Amino acid sequence: MQLFSQLLQNKKATVGVTILAIIILVAIFAPFLSEYSPTQRVGRPHQAPSLEHWLGTTRLGHDVFTRLIYGARVSLAVGFGAGLMITLIGTVLGIIAGYKGGVIDEIINFFTNLVLVIPNLPLLLVIAAFVGQASPPVIAVILGLTSWAWGVRVTRSETLSIRQRDYVKSAEMLGEPSWRIMAFEIFPNLISIVGINFIGSVIFAVITEATLEFLGLGDPNTVSWGIMLYNAQNASALSVGAWWDLLSPCFALALLGLSLALINFAIDEVANPRLRTGGMLGRWTRMVRAGEGKL
Amino acid sequence: MAFLLRRVVFYLAAFIAAATINFFLPRLMPGDPVQIMFAGAGSNLSMENLNALKLTFGFIDAPIGQQYLAYLQSVFTGDLGRSVKYFPLPVTELLARALVWTVGLVGSATIVSFILGTLLGVMAAWRRGTLFDSVVSLLSIFSSSVPAVVISLTMLFVFGYSLGWFPNGYAADPMLDPAFGWSYISSVIHHGALPMFTMVIVLTGGFAVTMRNNMINLLGDDYIVMGRAKGLSENHVMLWYAARNALLPTVSALAISIGTILGGSLVTEVVFNYPGLGNMLYQAILARDYPVIQGQLLIMTAAMLVSNFVVDLSYVLLDPRLKKA
Repeated sequence: MQLFSQLLQNKKATVGVTILAIIILVAIFAPFLSEYSPTQRVGRPHQAPSLEHWLGTTRLGHDVFTRLIYGARVSLAVGFGAGLMITLIGTVLGIIAGYKGGVIDEIINFFTNLVLVIPNLPLLLVIAAFVGQASPPVIAVILGLTSWAWGVRVTRSETLSIRQRDYVKSAEMLGEPSWRIMAFEIFPNLISIVGINFIGSVIFAVITEATLEFLGLGDPNTVSWGIMLYNAQNASALSVGAWWDLLSPCFALALLGLSLALINFAIDEVANPRLRTGGMLGRWTRMVRAGEGKL
Repeated sequence: MAFLLRRVVFYLAAFIAAATINFFLPRLMPGDPVQIMFAGAGSNLSMENLNALKLTFGFIDAPIGQQYLAYLQSVFTGDLGRSVKYFPLPVTELLARALVWTVGLVGSATIVSFILGTLLGVMAAWRRGTLFDSVVSLLSIFSSSVPAVVISLTMLFVFGYSLGWFPNGYAADPMLDPAFGWSYISSVIHHGALPMFTMVIVLTGGFAVTMRNNMINLLGDDYIVMGRAKGLSENHVMLWYAARNALLPTVSALAISIGTILGGSLVTEVVFNYPGLGNMLYQAILARDYPVIQGQLLIMTAAMLVSNFVVDLSYVLLDPRLKKA
């Protein structure tokens, strides 16, 4: 809880959470924000931004703004869905490997290192190509199943050091079952690492979904930012001067990524006070005096 | 020595794992993948070409175990089958042709951004809390969270289309004869500059923040105080006491990120229509040219493993403790 109250005071976190909240609200209330349908022709091809079409129209005469706010739903759903899966697998395997040790650790560690040296995007390209026209939920599952290795590595090494602490030893002495120790003694102490892993995985999933769709591996009928990029690129939007078609999803992706990254950097700063900028020594002294030195 | 040997065995296992994924994926597809590809490619392949295609995926009249061994054998002898789109051409030849451009682009961008990022990180850590540090932090937040495709498209829009400073595609002027004359070389540099600069923007922030955090974590250590106490200049302590020790984890971060770097280059090449692996792969995806898509996974994995091995070697050189282990 201390982590959260400190996050509230962090400037980066405030900015990040605000932007993210706006994007989530826009995605939820998309039907109220636009009179158009995202999949219907509502204007002439490649109309420039105007009062009628705030961000212009695509080559097929779709309203760009409408597609953008509906597309936010897909990016958020894939990002958080895949992020949750990646974090869940990574955290569970990492804690088990770090706490159990022995053969279990060696097996998990071996597979983790194996997955880490096989380049991620090329692997995803091959899988998505064989799946063929992958829809957003399918992309989310593929991402979840292939991208957990980094989380395992980080969680495992942290678990290794926590395992030696007194409270874990005493729980063992009391004969608590190992799942209980892992869930209630170790996991709560990993919360900042799990948080960073989660937000990082969401960023990764948002970026990778858009990239796969941009490269032509997505389902072209989806309304998402990646498919918008793909369509705009195919319609040579830049060379015919229809920059709004291409730059709108670019801006949206950058904004979502930046908001998440700001939150992540804030968690990192709160959890690892040495990284903090701005009068570091002064803040340390204040924290120690206020009895907040231990995190 | 034992350390390096263990690594080589591990890398071999990793490469076999990638090949295994390639072997089983077509077999997990519903229906006969070769038939689907045959229909999907819309090409006029003859029956004997169909057989050549089947061989590419290791479909021979034998039990699956034998198929697998035959597939591994062909992969390890450098035979990745034939492309569907450019039919008689072997995948290896197609990829090798494209790889030259990618290596040039990725290599130069990685070197520039690693040096630049490391220096920025060192100085940001040394002057932490100042405006300079904040700018570096912002830069790294930016490049770690904004997709490479977004940065590439924006750069192309601004410097390619709007300002017209750089060409919008190809690795060189297609009118020029690719001989080693100055006009050809300058054309290559002019065409490569924007994609390279884009990749530098994508990569520098990550290196900077890794280095900055590594530095900060050891700034309180005794040997830093010792360096200062000896009366050495600030710059000397910064570079030869702090940065030198913070460099080790940064180098290993570089090895792990080679895969991401190659992934980023795929996207940049597609956007800039640059004739490297990325663009070749994009064409393959559009044509559902599966052998090429599979071939790039093996090439990329090999590149990743080799660069990891190089880092292992440099570790042995940089960290004397490992020589004994």
